[in-house]
Amino acid sequence: MGKKITVDPVTRIEGHLGITVEVENGKVKDAWSSGTMARGFEALLEGRDPRDAPFVTSRFCGVCYSVHQMASVRALDVAFGAEVPWGGTLLRNLAMGAQFIYDHVLHFYHLSALDYIDIMAVAEYQGKDKALNAVKDKVVGLVKAKDTFPLTPRYKPDEFCVRDPDMVLSSVKHYLDALAIQAKARNMGAIFGGRQPHYQSIVVGGCTQHPDVNMVAKFRTMLDEQAKFVNEVYIPDVLAFGTGPLFPLARAGLGGGHYNYLSYGGLELDKAGKDLVFPAGVMMDMDPAKMEVAPCDPQKITESVKYAWYEKDKPRHPYKGQQVFDLDRKEAYSFIKAPRYDGRSMEVGPLARMLLAKNPDVIGLLKKGAKPGVVTRHAARAIETRLMVDACYRWCDALLAEMTRPGFKIHDTAHYEPPETGEGAGFFEAPRGALGHWVKIKDHKIANYQCVVPSTWNASPRCEKQYRGQYEEALIGAPVPDPENPVNVVRVVRSFDPCLACAIHLIDPRTNEIKKFLVE
Amino acid sequence: MNKLFGEISRRDFMKFCAGTAAVLGLSEVELISKVTEVMAVAPSKPPVLWLSGQDCAGCTISLAGALNPPLSSLILDRLSLRYHEALMAGAGNVADATYEETVKEGGYVLCVEGAIPTADDRFCMIGGRPFRQMVEEASQKAGAIIAVGACAAFGGIPAAGPTGAVGTSKIIKDKTVINLPTCPVHCDHLIGTILYVLTTGKVPPMDKLGRPTMYFGELIHENCRRRYYFDNEMFLTDWNDPAQKNWCLYEKGCKGPDTYADCPVRRWNDGQNFCIDCGAGCMGCAEPEFYDGMSPLYTAESERSKNMMARKKAGLIPRVKEDVRKEVVTDGQENHG
Repeated sequence: MGKKITVDPVTRIEGHLGITVEVENGKVKDAWSSGTMARGFEALLEGRDPRDAPFVTSRFCGVCYSVHQMASVRALDVAFGAEVPWGGTLLRNLAMGAQFIYDHVLHFYHLSALDYIDIMAVAEYQGKDKALNAVKDKVVGLVKAKDTFPLTPRYKPDEFCVRDPDMVLSSVKHYLDALAIQAKARNMGAIFGGRQPHYQSIVVGGCTQHPDVNMVAKFRTMLDEQAKFVNEVYIPDVLAFGTGPLFPLARAGLGGGHYNYLSYGGLELDKAGKDLVFPAGVMMDMDPAKMEVAPCDPQKITESVKYAWYEKDKPRHPYKGQQVFDLDRKEAYSFIKAPRYDGRSMEVGPLARMLLAKNPDVIGLLKKGAKPGVVTRHAARAIETRLMVDACYRWCDALLAEMTRPGFKIHDTAHYEPPETGEGAGFFEAPRGALGHWVKIKDHKIANYQCVVPSTWNASPRCEKQYRGQYEEALIGAPVPDPENPVNVVRVVRSFDPCLACAIHLIDPRTNEIKKFLVE
Repeated sequence: MNKLFGEISRRDFMKFCAGTAAVLGLSEVELISKVTEVMAVAPSKPPVLWLSGQDCAGCTISLAGALNPPLSSLILDRLSLRYHEALMAGAGNVADATYEETVKEGGYVLCVEGAIPTADDRFCMIGGRPFRQMVEEASQKAGAIIAVGACAAFGGIPAAGPTGAVGTSKIIKDKTVINLPTCPVHCDHLIGTILYVLTTGKVPPMDKLGRPTMYFGELIHENCRRRYYFDNEMFLTDWNDPAQKNWCLYEKGCKGPDTYADCPVRRWNDGQNFCIDCGAGCMGCAEPEFYDGMSPLYTAESERSKNMMARKKAGLIPRVKEDVRKEVVTDGQENHG
């Protein structure tokens, strides 16, 4: 039996997460992931007007709110029989594009980068760059004033932390620059979304924001600034780290996981919905030589409750999902159910999407010797941000063209009233991966609402077949030479961009016995 | 609490915090330079302790939308952000130790994000501790307590769920809690309130619900640019129809006539847009009855909406004064002050 280490709270993520790892001979031998907060959203939706659902489910998460609205309205579109006009789809997609760009930039610079740099190295910068020296002076000033919050305290930098003063200083500068960039990306989204966080304009049948040419022009101008940052700063930074000082981590495949990938696909680039930003697909036991992709069939999704605090039950499709608690089951250790595809544990998110799309940049990294894992996950996220920027330009043009059509529409007004009965599934690719909402309507009200969100896939506990969830599997073998300083544990977990408030919808807190940083 | 770095004139603050968008731009620059001035002679940056409970991090993201002053200057130059789960470098025991030290030290601005469960503490545990306990503990030596967003202020959406979620003032009864509802918080409201407290050493003037009157003193309706259409019962029914696109959103569930907040003048996201301008309507997120009392949201079928219409029919919701409206229409730009 190795040492058990618990990191709780895992910070710089959305939500409340505790991770426990068992360490033997300096490496993670086993891992358990546990969520520690619940609000009971699905329960509070029962009996409500279905049109409340996008607004309420947006509050699953204040970081990736819009994608819940999107999955929710898509489920309602089906249940209401609404046909979203192309104009409405374009407005929705532009709002989602802004979400992706801000979210990915924020994740890399503000939620992850501090794990990879020794920030104190900035003091050794000797260069003459004015802007860099200003940042250096700022950080040195903080150190002198003995107040470097919130940049410290932190886990001690390990051998993988970048110490090169030029590289560290430019990353700190980009951390600060990116604070403004991510805010401006959200402002861009508000043009069609109404306001951010939590868009107001995304409704069943389309979008409420009637666009004009000035709005599109403003969006484009703001998009130019985002494109410049993504292409000239974000992607170069990720690649400089990933193919430079962090390449040993990439080659070692730190944080690899099961190598099973799933994407529902989404974000239409054309009216027919044939050309998608993200293709759908499933890949099992990825073999880099073959990269075989199978079609994704949501009917093959089941949720296991074997290790979650629910009444003992067989794995069920989300439409038949139940939420009856059994808090006395000793084997349970999480409030998160375990979704499986064809019985297998799947990774969802940017890496899954880019591998399934056989993105040449990501494949190129693999050819150079990188393995799927922490570093490639960050790279895939940056690379798809560029795809999203490009898509936004196309949607702007498409919207301008569509607006000139006589009878231009943004909403299916004929199908705005809730049907007496109905059901619908809404699928979407969120920044963190495959997202599904399932709704059943009875007497014009919500009878049942279920979600399987990206962080449920990735943060799930084990299932009947003992397959670990993605975080758990990805942690196996991670080096933890110093139990007091489990920096690789948080690197692995953060590389997935966890979103815990999303993952736990309805739980009961009994037997939550996580102790803070317990070393047995 | 102590004045942390001197005093700047109350008038300047009111200009920053209360004014219309036009006034805001100018005085904000003035304010920031003044704050910077007084802070230059302060011995250290004022500490901030941010606790997140039954939250979605939306208020954190909203704060991260601050561009003027930018968040980077707030968290590095102006404030000492000691504990904030979503932003701090440390995790696990490192994070915990910082929390303990800051609480021991006292004198911080305590920001609470998210609701607090009362049905059972275990609905929200941080580092093995009940969130409720952390809020109680941290409130003891806090210089000021700000409930950030609808959940922390009044329970918000979680209050409609099964966890017995309540706002901060239901837990902290012996101290003043400044409520900044709206879902999420508006970053101007939050930053303005923090700066107000730090520079004056006082809590801002508040209404009986603990909301600063500089932000929540007027009904959305009073400043709504669609009010003419409400008065004349021209209600939008079809979002596709260009002729209707600026009409009143009552039929689509707008709760503006019943909600106190300055959204129509302040707008959101650096002035880009806001709920009414985008054609969706106000969902009443600044009121204590949000969310349950506002549901259903995107239709006029809620009791709240029905009452509003009944009051309108009874003449209890006044029309825009005829003379004011004429002035605006005829004189346009010049009458904004």
